[in-house]
Amino acid sequence: MTHRADAKYMVDERGYEGELIRGQNPALLIEKPVRERIFDSYYWKEQCFGLNAATLCDRAVEMTFIGGTYGQGKPTPFLCLAFKLLQLKPERDIVMEYLNNEDFKYLRALAAFYVRLTFDPADIYKTLEPFLSDYRKLRRRTKTGFALTYMDQFIDDLLMKDRVCATSLWKMPSRQQLEDLELLDERISPIGDEIDEIYADEVAEPRSEDSEEESESGDEVIENAGRAGDADDAAEDAREDQNGSVRD
Amino acid sequence: MPPKRMTANPVRPARYRPGKPTAAESESSGDESSDEDAEGAGQEPVVPLPPKAASFPSDSTRIANNLKKVDLNERREQAAAREAARVEAQAAERAKEEEGFVTEESEDESQEEDESGSESEEETSDEEEEPKKVLLRPTFIKKDKRAAIATKAVAAGKLEEEKRMEEEERRKAAADEIVEEQLRRDAAARAAGKKFWDDDEGEDADAVDDTDGLDPETERALWKLRELKRVKRERETIEQAEKEREEVERRRNLSKEEREEEDREFMARQREEKESRGKAGYLQKYYHKGAFFQDDQKEMGLDKRDIMGSRYQDEVANRELLPQYMQVRDMTRLGKKGRTKYKDLKGEDTGKWGEYDDRGQRRGDDRKGFGGMRDERFMPDYERDRERRAERTGANASEVRERKRVEGAPEGPRSMRDGGGNGRDRDDKTDSYRPGGPDRERRDPREDDNRHTSRDYRGRDMEYHREYSPRRRSRSRHDHRYRDRHGDDRDRRKRSNSPYGDRDDRDKRRKVDAK
Repeated sequence: MTHRADAKYMVDERGYEGELIRGQNPALLIEKPVRERIFDSYYWKEQCFGLNAATLCDRAVEMTFIGGTYGQGKPTPFLCLAFKLLQLKPERDIVMEYLNNEDFKYLRALAAFYVRLTFDPADIYKTLEPFLSDYRKLRRRTKTGFALTYMDQFIDDLLMKDRVCATSLWKMPSRQQLEDLELLDERISPIGDEIDEIYADEVAEPRSEDSEEESESGDEVIENAGRAGDADDAAEDAREDQNGSVRD
Repeated sequence: MPPKRMTANPVRPARYRPGKPTAAESESSGDESSDEDAEGAGQEPVVPLPPKAASFPSDSTRIANNLKKVDLNERREQAAAREAARVEAQAAERAKEEEGFVTEESEDESQEEDESGSESEEETSDEEEEPKKVLLRPTFIKKDKRAAIATKAVAAGKLEEEKRMEEEERRKAAADEIVEEQLRRDAAARAAGKKFWDDDEGEDADAVDDTDGLDPETERALWKLRELKRVKRERETIEQAEKEREEVERRRNLSKEEREEEDREFMARQREEKESRGKAGYLQKYYHKGAFFQDDQKEMGLDKRDIMGSRYQDEVANRELLPQYMQVRDMTRLGKKGRTKYKDLKGEDTGKWGEYDDRGQRRGDDRKGFGGMRDERFMPDYERDRERRAERTGANASEVRERKRVEGAPEGPRSMRDGGGNGRDRDDKTDSYRPGGPDRERRDPREDDNRHTSRDYRGRDMEYHREYSPRRRSRSRHDHRYRDRHGDDRDRRKRSNSPYGDRDDRDKRRKVDAK
């Protein structure tokens, strides 16, 4: 593909002949005002010129935060690189490679963003849900400052929210709908076993002290998980309660 | 101290005028004075110094300048060396020639003078940019003294050379330092990872630390918490969907009547809620909570809030106690230009809106009619009866005397009412529309001047008035003051013409003696 100095050729109505994503020019997945900001930013003009899939990695590993626009509309490098990905349209293998790399979490976040924008709904769920167990920290740049977030939180936002990183994510059918359409299976959470136990007890015995204890212990499990206690011990305690021993 | 040239224009090199000393020569003479001068036109009037502010490009210019200076030094050095060499060579030549040719001293002298003259010219051409030395007139120097001077010149040249070398070295060192510093700074910035397009990251980024593995258990626990919340959220949505489906099923299964009953209940409940909100006080500002942002309100727990009945601290409890001017819905508009006097719809209503209950009572009490209209603004202010006069309010409350009746003046439509007015002596006049009537004759004996003119004017009318002569006397007693030269207009008008004549009459109000 030709790299031209002025990126506006990408959104020129007359001449787009590349691959269509969501039935349109992929550059249009990002809104016009944000797009203009990206084109005008220094990062785009200097660093994102003439990148290919490999050199993009070099840029991506220098990233230190995710985010959309900050300040008066200045785009983050994250957003610029995401737009570059939209321009390059790398193949699925490459994207999966980006996603599955363990070393660079920001690259993973970038790939997740790209996946959310370009893949099919069932694929999105299938690809992104394994990463809901990745709890690494991410730094997110907001309009006024920085915030701490986690990878699983970011991916959850991608799946649930309408607007992430200054982009209106195109609307996806909900997981429920896809399950009804038989395109997806139900999601099994990694801590599914413990949850099942908690919920099973609550449902089975409606109005007894044990269940109250159980539910309390269930809450306590959650609270302990929140505190500095060891989660496995808490799980064990829950199981002990099940067996009838009273907790203080 | 005021500038030497009394102008703010920049110094420009003086134009060349043949025969006049150039700026260089005059500068050297004025060196001492220029040192004291605050501005100091500078020893290099042609080239201004580069700006001292340290921004990125100027470093290069500074370095470039340094380099330039170095070159000049070399050039100067070379020039000086050349001069010294030449001087030496010429001195040697002279020595040789002089030994040989004693008789041709004059020629040699002239040659020497020429040579020395040419030398001095070359000197001046080489040393253009240096501080101009005072050039001496070429004078004849004796043989033995010439040699001494030549050696002195060479020695001086050598000293200068050394000095220049030292200076040059110093400057080179300084330039090197500058360049080194710049390089060091660049390296440091790059090492710190600060890209120059990213000018505002600063320390904020460090405040949020994203290193992993600081406390694995806590992190894992937090993650578990989040995961549980997500699962819970999903289950709740599922339950919600289930409940809705159930509800729909249930309603479908009910019969039609039951459905209607439920609807009625629902609406009754809604109405109750609306009414229980309470009436807005008199002239209270209406507040609607808005149709958007319902979700946000629900999050904050504000969706059931109703602030219609509340008022802020400054607000008056009972607006009716305020003067009418201040009884407005929006107090911010008080005193402002565009303020309307609108209070509420009921105040503007001039009809019977909202009065349906009183209809029966009003029917028997039809004072002044107009369909029972009792709005003050639309009531007439003429009151005939004495009883009604008592109801006059405000400026209308004072007593007014009877209307001044002028004999010849046409009566208004009201005089026709009630049988043609009251208390009026109407026997005298048979025809109220005849202007002037008996008054004409009265005037004749009094004033002759106008008589003629008036007579001429109204010659026709005189005939009619013969008949009224017996009434003359009865009228002569009345109102002498009102007869004057201006003729009938006076009589016809109800108001007097003169501005000063009838001061008493100007005030319609009867003067009530204050006791």
